[in-house]
Amino acid sequence: MTTNQTRREFLRDLGISAAALPFILNLPSLGFANQRQRKQRLVFLFSPNGVIPSAFWPEEEGPLTTLKESLKPLEPFKERTLILHGVCDKVRGDGDNHMRGIGCLLTGIELFPGNIQGGSHTPAGWASGLSIDQEIKNHLQANPATRTRFGSLEFGVLVPDRADTWTRMIYAGPNKPIAPIDDPYQMFNKLYGRMKDQEHLKSILDDLQEDLRKVRSVVSTEDRRLLEEHAAFVREMEQELKASKEQDVGHAVPELEPGIKTENDNMPRISKMQIDLMVNSFAADFARVASLQFTNSVGQARMRWLKINEGHHELSHHPDSDKDAVDKLIRINKWYCEQMAYLAKRLAETPEPGGGGSLLDNTLLVWTNELGKGNSHTLDNIPFVLVGNGLDFKMGRSIKYPKVPHNRLLLSLAHGMGHRIKTFGNPDFCSAGPLPKLS
Amino acid sequence: MLAAEVRSGEQIYRQQCASCHGVKGEGSEEYKRPLTGDRSVAQLARFIARSMPKNSDKKCTGEDAQKVAVYIYETFYSKTAQARNKPPRIELSRLTVRQYRQAVTDLIGTFRGPAHWDQQRGLKGEYYKSRRLWRPDERVLSRVDPVVQFDFGVTGPEPNKFEPDQFSIRWSGSVLAPETGEYEFIVRTEHAARLWLNDTKRPLIDAWVKSGNDTEHRAAIFLLGGRVYPLRLEFSKAKQGVDDSKDKKKKKPEVKASIALEWKLPHRTPEVIPQRCLSPLAVPISFVLTTPFPPDDRSIGYERGSSISRAWEQATTDAAIEIADYVMSHLAELSGVREEAADRPAKLRDFCCRFAERAFRRPLTKEQKRLYVDQQFEKVRAVEAAVKRSLLLVLKSPYFLYREIGGSQDNYDAASRLSFALWDSLPDVELLRAAASGQLATRPQLLRQAERMVSDLRTRAKLHDFFMQWLKVDPVPDLAKDSTQFPGFDRAAASDLRTSLELFLEDVLWSEASDFRQLFLADYLYLNGRLASLYGVGLPAGSTFQKVSPKSGERAGILTHPYLMATFAYTATSSPIHRGVFLARSVLGRALLPPPEAFTPLPPELHPQLTTRERIDLQTKPHACQTCHGMINPLGFTLENFDAIGRFRDKEKDRPIDTTGSYLTRKGAIVKFTGVRDLAAFLAASDEVQEAFVEQLFHYFVKQPIRAYGPDKISALRHFFVDNHCNVRKLMVEIAAESVLQPSPARSVRKGK
Repeated sequence: MTTNQTRREFLRDLGISAAALPFILNLPSLGFANQRQRKQRLVFLFSPNGVIPSAFWPEEEGPLTTLKESLKPLEPFKERTLILHGVCDKVRGDGDNHMRGIGCLLTGIELFPGNIQGGSHTPAGWASGLSIDQEIKNHLQANPATRTRFGSLEFGVLVPDRADTWTRMIYAGPNKPIAPIDDPYQMFNKLYGRMKDQEHLKSILDDLQEDLRKVRSVVSTEDRRLLEEHAAFVREMEQELKASKEQDVGHAVPELEPGIKTENDNMPRISKMQIDLMVNSFAADFARVASLQFTNSVGQARMRWLKINEGHHELSHHPDSDKDAVDKLIRINKWYCEQMAYLAKRLAETPEPGGGGSLLDNTLLVWTNELGKGNSHTLDNIPFVLVGNGLDFKMGRSIKYPKVPHNRLLLSLAHGMGHRIKTFGNPDFCSAGPLPKLS
Repeated sequence: MLAAEVRSGEQIYRQQCASCHGVKGEGSEEYKRPLTGDRSVAQLARFIARSMPKNSDKKCTGEDAQKVAVYIYETFYSKTAQARNKPPRIELSRLTVRQYRQAVTDLIGTFRGPAHWDQQRGLKGEYYKSRRLWRPDERVLSRVDPVVQFDFGVTGPEPNKFEPDQFSIRWSGSVLAPETGEYEFIVRTEHAARLWLNDTKRPLIDAWVKSGNDTEHRAAIFLLGGRVYPLRLEFSKAKQGVDDSKDKKKKKPEVKASIALEWKLPHRTPEVIPQRCLSPLAVPISFVLTTPFPPDDRSIGYERGSSISRAWEQATTDAAIEIADYVMSHLAELSGVREEAADRPAKLRDFCCRFAERAFRRPLTKEQKRLYVDQQFEKVRAVEAAVKRSLLLVLKSPYFLYREIGGSQDNYDAASRLSFALWDSLPDVELLRAAASGQLATRPQLLRQAERMVSDLRTRAKLHDFFMQWLKVDPVPDLAKDSTQFPGFDRAAASDLRTSLELFLEDVLWSEASDFRQLFLADYLYLNGRLASLYGVGLPAGSTFQKVSPKSGERAGILTHPYLMATFAYTATSSPIHRGVFLARSVLGRALLPPPEAFTPLPPELHPQLTTRERIDLQTKPHACQTCHGMINPLGFTLENFDAIGRFRDKEKDRPIDTTGSYLTRKGAIVKFTGVRDLAAFLAASDEVQEAFVEQLFHYFVKQPIRAYGPDKISALRHFFVDNHCNVRKLMVEIAAESVLQPSPARSVRKGK
């Protein structure tokens, strides 16, 4: 039951009755699960196919001055941005770089041998360990003070309907990939389905009572007793539903624009819907960990709304000398960066329920990629752009590391979230511990 | 001795009270009020002592008052006494859990069409020479495979037809779930595979990505017994993705390929899905409800829906939501209304009417249509929300949740009574059509329908469940046995034994004769290779289940079936008491009280020189025990030839086994037996056994007390049964028809008013 506990259930565990709920939930000190320590959230954003380094990385280490073209959308959040250069995915073994790029990105561990063949590399299967977000989620869910209804939420945007090494980033364990939900309506149902059901139920109860009354009049006196009991139970349900009004989320249920199909050209709208849902679910404290995966490793988004008709992966193979392709790739990454900026903006605008500040003050966004650079397929200098103040990192800077294994960054994130593990993924890459200079 | 001093409460009452209050406390002309109420015995006694009898000098006081109070309280005054004295009646009942689950599956199923299950067995196998399972021109072989259990070696299913490093296979068809519960499906292969079960879109097992050394893939799914589900299994030996390596054409190392499709029935051990449960025919998917329900009241021997609880009310709400969600997510398919249809709202309203009609088992009245459909569509603008509200309301409605409410006793009620009796489910399209045209009014019409319905898989499933209950093996017993005494009797053997029992029942009950007596008289049983070696029968090791007759005179149907013998036994020794209780209660229909206090059986080590029979005799010798054990033990002793796993033995502790026994019939005759064949012959011809069976079957099928259908109903049904050579199938048909032909409770009440 640890993963599905709602705040209502949590309060019930505390021995607080349903009748007291409306009062208690209005008090900031008890309204949300952990009030002693500040709430901390961690979000991973993924976009594929590497970046154009010259339009991405700051020239210098130190305070951020101007941002390069791909990162321009983060200009308003410069003070709250941390760009980590020199972090490398050193995990080797089976699978091509795209596969290992996404499969080892958050797991920090090798892929199993398998039957998925990429290029001339040896075929591989799934990652052989869980991903860091799930590790942190498990840690938070184990503690009643940080436990939330879902623990973590896995969002996607246009993730192909195909389960293979290139489409999965999040793992619950070895050979246990988690499919991101890339249909906003499906995500909405997961988050709010129960509330909608209650609304519907409430609306039919009068009709139901009316019919039970009618039926009672046509049965014998002996049989009437059963129907009277039934009616009494229905009345109880009615009273409970009245008492539980909206308390489960503490805010209005968001309205989704209806009828948006999960198609390439709807990508901007889907992205916005998913981000809005994520912000709402944080406001409701449904989860402390989330991920948002744009397409997949080798993703082929066609950003026609940017006047780019080629598929992303196809473009990423073009040589650096192809100025047109380079320009398009810069714009593609800039679009992804805009999505992160929109998420940061929404979080910054939304007050932290039950506490001071905004959601962004307690949330760290980590934008990453399966490759350093598309046409070289390098796993060195994997993009890691951090925004927000969820962890006690010193923001507003650029750091350049001397090719450190990315496992150390994964460790730092766990430590920053209060989970002090010694190693994560392949321990050979963890011996130097969490990365220095972050806080 | 003065008579007054020893008068019983009853005597005092008759002498001093009955003239005014009536012999049964019913009252008289002078004192009309019947003697019923809620005072306690002590209160009654005080009241009597103070004021009774009125108008008489000789008051009833002291001990007499106390005695009278006890007598009237227990005989007719108290609530429990009243309930006891009430004539049995047909009670208003809600759907039982089994009925609810079956009904919602069929409710949604009627929008999809029925599943067919014919004589063909096995799965359709389509073999492709490459990894391209979607290319008809690369299919090189198409056949029906009895089971999926193949070792293709390093070449392929057939020599020279396949590319050894990349061939693929699709098996498709359907699978029959023999019982209700949580199943586990298991695919074993070193290569890629995926399995779809009761879902054409999302695979139950997706191992299309081969990863690591896992060669076993499992997934659980809840299935309803007696239903057929679509199944598709795909296998690929090939690598996926793109191979652009330069040495592509180089000879690759030889790799083996094998695949097996297994399942684990609820509380059983894994086995290859047997041929008898597979069909190459495609069937539609079924909705299977997963919401848990509190168990039904089974206190009087059969599940019935005569009480409700808060937990039940909550479960019906959760279930309504689950069902409505399912319908909404399959709305276009079930309603046949396309999302872009111009008149979608009107058509969906029509769909809601049809849904309500099928749920209520009758056409909607104007009022109902208004309440359940129109009003919901008028309240909200979004058509999806209206549909959902209508569905929820229908599913929470008393017309759906209760049986034959309102007692209209028309053809539609008849259709429901037939279908719930035989299927525990809603009437099908044909029954509703018959009801609509008034074709369910006469006995021959009802019999005709019941005969059609009785061979349906749902009746088979219901009869199967009845027998599991009758034979006391539901829930599935844990048959752990002493491993030093019974090496080889493991969980797999116990699981096989249950299958063996099921095959035997199926064989007897669904043969042409369907002869109940064969359940006792048959001298064969079903064994496979594993069981044959355990029970000393010569069969090749890998044999599948087949009929075998051990030494003549050894076996007697269910009476000696090793599964039951092992169930009614301890881990190391037989248990004549458990066997005797089963015979007395289930087979002979005798009421036995539980022992006055809990006893631990005497440990065999305490009396190493005694046989089981002697030990039981010793422990149950006291007079207080003999009231019941006088009946139980001599029945159970006749089965002493069968040890704790049901193997035949003629010696225990090197002494010959005494299998003599006896039974005192209800008419007072003593019948003596030696051994199980004697017992079997007696039981097969016993009117007590027939009557007990008729009564229990009636209760399980109709879920109302048989006495509510008239005092002679049992004996009439028994005569029918005997006249028809104890044909169980005919008895089910007769019971179903008879359950319709009785007056409904509401009508009899109205008449009374």
